[in-house]
Amino acid sequence: MAITAADAPTRVVTPKPAPPRRRSRLKMRNTLIGWSFILPNFLGFGLLTLVPIVVLFYMSFTNWNIFGTANWVGLANFQRLMGDGSFRVSVLNTLYYSALHIPLTIAVSLGLALLLNNKIRGVAFFRTAAFFPYITSIVAIAVVWNLLFSPEFGPINEFLRFIGIANPPGWLTSPDWAMIAVVIVGTWRDMGYYMILFLAGLQTVPRELHEAARVDGAGIWQRFVNVTLPCLRPTMFFVTVMLTINSFKIFDLILVMTEGGPGQSTLVLSQFIYRKGFMENQFGYASAAAVALFFMCIVVTVLQFLWNKKRSI
Amino acid sequence: MKRKFAAAAGFAVAVSLSLAACSGGGDASTEPSGPVTLSVSGWALDTTPEFQDLADAFTAQNPDITVEVKGYDATEYNTLLTADLAAGSGPDIITQKEVKFVPTFVEGGQLLDVSDVQLPDGISGASSYQVDGKSYAVPYRNDSWVLFYNKNLFEQAGVDQPDGTWTWKDYNDAADKLNAGLAGAGSAAKAAYLHRWQSTVQGFANAQSGGDILAGDYSYMQPFYERALSMQSSGDQVDYNTSAANKLTYQGEFGKQNAAMMPMGTWFVATLIAQQASGDADDFEWGIAPIPQNSASTTGLDKTPVTFGDPTGFGINANIDQSKVAAAKKFLAFAAGEEGAQVLAKIGITPALLSDSVVETYFAVDGAPTDDLSKFAYSTHEVLPENPTSNKAAAIQGILNDMHSAIMSGSVSPADGLKEAQARVASEVGVG
Repeated sequence: MAITAADAPTRVVTPKPAPPRRRSRLKMRNTLIGWSFILPNFLGFGLLTLVPIVVLFYMSFTNWNIFGTANWVGLANFQRLMGDGSFRVSVLNTLYYSALHIPLTIAVSLGLALLLNNKIRGVAFFRTAAFFPYITSIVAIAVVWNLLFSPEFGPINEFLRFIGIANPPGWLTSPDWAMIAVVIVGTWRDMGYYMILFLAGLQTVPRELHEAARVDGAGIWQRFVNVTLPCLRPTMFFVTVMLTINSFKIFDLILVMTEGGPGQSTLVLSQFIYRKGFMENQFGYASAAAVALFFMCIVVTVLQFLWNKKRSI
Repeated sequence: MKRKFAAAAGFAVAVSLSLAACSGGGDASTEPSGPVTLSVSGWALDTTPEFQDLADAFTAQNPDITVEVKGYDATEYNTLLTADLAAGSGPDIITQKEVKFVPTFVEGGQLLDVSDVQLPDGISGASSYQVDGKSYAVPYRNDSWVLFYNKNLFEQAGVDQPDGTWTWKDYNDAADKLNAGLAGAGSAAKAAYLHRWQSTVQGFANAQSGGDILAGDYSYMQPFYERALSMQSSGDQVDYNTSAANKLTYQGEFGKQNAAMMPMGTWFVATLIAQQASGDADDFEWGIAPIPQNSASTTGLDKTPVTFGDPTGFGINANIDQSKVAAAKKFLAFAAGEEGAQVLAKIGITPALLSDSVVETYFAVDGAPTDDLSKFAYSTHEVLPENPTSNKAAAIQGILNDMHSAIMSGSVSPADGLKEAQARVASEVGVG
């Protein structure tokens, strides 16, 4: 029952057979007009996205340092990446961040969405409030959270000491806790955005299904697992894909909160690329790392697509 | 068909226009003599008047040569300038903001050999622009690190002020006494403030114990780190983690009298004078002293204390119009020479050339300290470069910066942190 409902959005619509050709001139004209409609956007995409990506792939096989010629070095950059300890650390840190950030954000934003899908007083206010972190300046966020996380005088540790934890964590100053602190801030920042997506998804859950389940004697948890979640699958799929890609690409939060420190404990892949490229002028090598990130994102996304497809049959 | 033709024509025009734009420049006119206009790159022109002042003074002397300052964003200076140079639209005179980018410019063939520009005797920082025995820029500005101290807080604590004979051990002892004295006098100020930059520890270690970061062995930094950590644990200075969490600024810590002593570069002199005048900083008596030394052999007013700093310099674009080269070299000689130094000293900037008359001009500024020790600290020192001129410097400094945050935050012991950094430099940069 639930499966048919969830099926609808992902079904591929087969195009209608083309109408019998009247005159090729008319067709040509229509094609040209069609092209001219998408041309501005396509030009922007081509110049600003497609071409740079192609150039990036080329650069990853060179030793370009911005000036002069880019010498072809074959796979040397990728071989160097394999043996680079910092690259390994940054990949592991990125995966660590993603492994914590993705499930936590889904849980929190879905919870918020369920809560704010009810008819409660001031729901519009609470929805807006939950969305605020997402539109707040990242620099302001970093400064405030840095103060909150301050190991000696920060309110978070004051509170932890108050409830009887003698040695609260050092948060951003401790290599074991810095990443967890960044994940907390990352989740707090992103939850509003994904909450909106889940809220939109919840509107598509048919009320009749819930009623039928209730008549059949299903409890609130059973209805959530057997009705709400399956109906939310398209939304869940979209959220997971976007969250994964955004987690792999995490950069701004790290840069303003820890700059990768202490030591290398929060060095992530994007920051590794930034350092090699813009601080050490090794653009060829940085491009190779960027290509590695690109493929990480692609592979995981393709896996998610395949899994989603399997589930939808 | 008409439409198709129009579309094709439009496309052709667009392509040819963009191609034309790309091929612009290149063929330079070779006409010599007559009035020349030079462009110089600068940054944050509103708050950094040095470029315009140098340009104006130079044009006043050479009416035939106009100097135009091309402004860039200060924090993205090297990225933006690099983009301009790569596109062939860079300025004639390229200001070198950071020494670590010099090798990239030189290896990329962007800088003209300016070894034939005459530099005055006693100028510091010239070696930072030498690659394989050739000079690619001339230094005009060279800040060095000194010890700033708050005379009022010293008096309040009843502790003797610096006298130019301090080693780092004397500095630590004075800090202990200051802390006790200040607490006794009911002041909340700390004895010292050490900013979070890696240079506040590593710069002194490199300069004063003959360390070379390109050699790949960093054990000489250990005593410097142990001293910094001990001052943190004894409460003589705010610890690194609190400073990082609260994003403390060194201007605020010293200017608001939260710390009685602070190692900092001489650029802070001009800032402090301006902030005291505007009320952003408290009104108090302050001075500068020679930075404490690692060994007693370089302390005292009859010796030359060792400190560090990186110069700022002017280089010439390798693609400059041939007819402008002579004028550009003239500008370089002017900026690095006595006249340029006078222009800079007048606005509180530390020139690379510190002759007696330049120092006099510098301290004549309203609000500057007037004591002899400050003049000595400002003018007498051996300034070693902070960054070696090498294409490996940026990568090594990056690793040493990771190590700095790990050690100062207490995540690793100095010994372990140094060992780890050494291993990383060996495997990632291939040094040591």
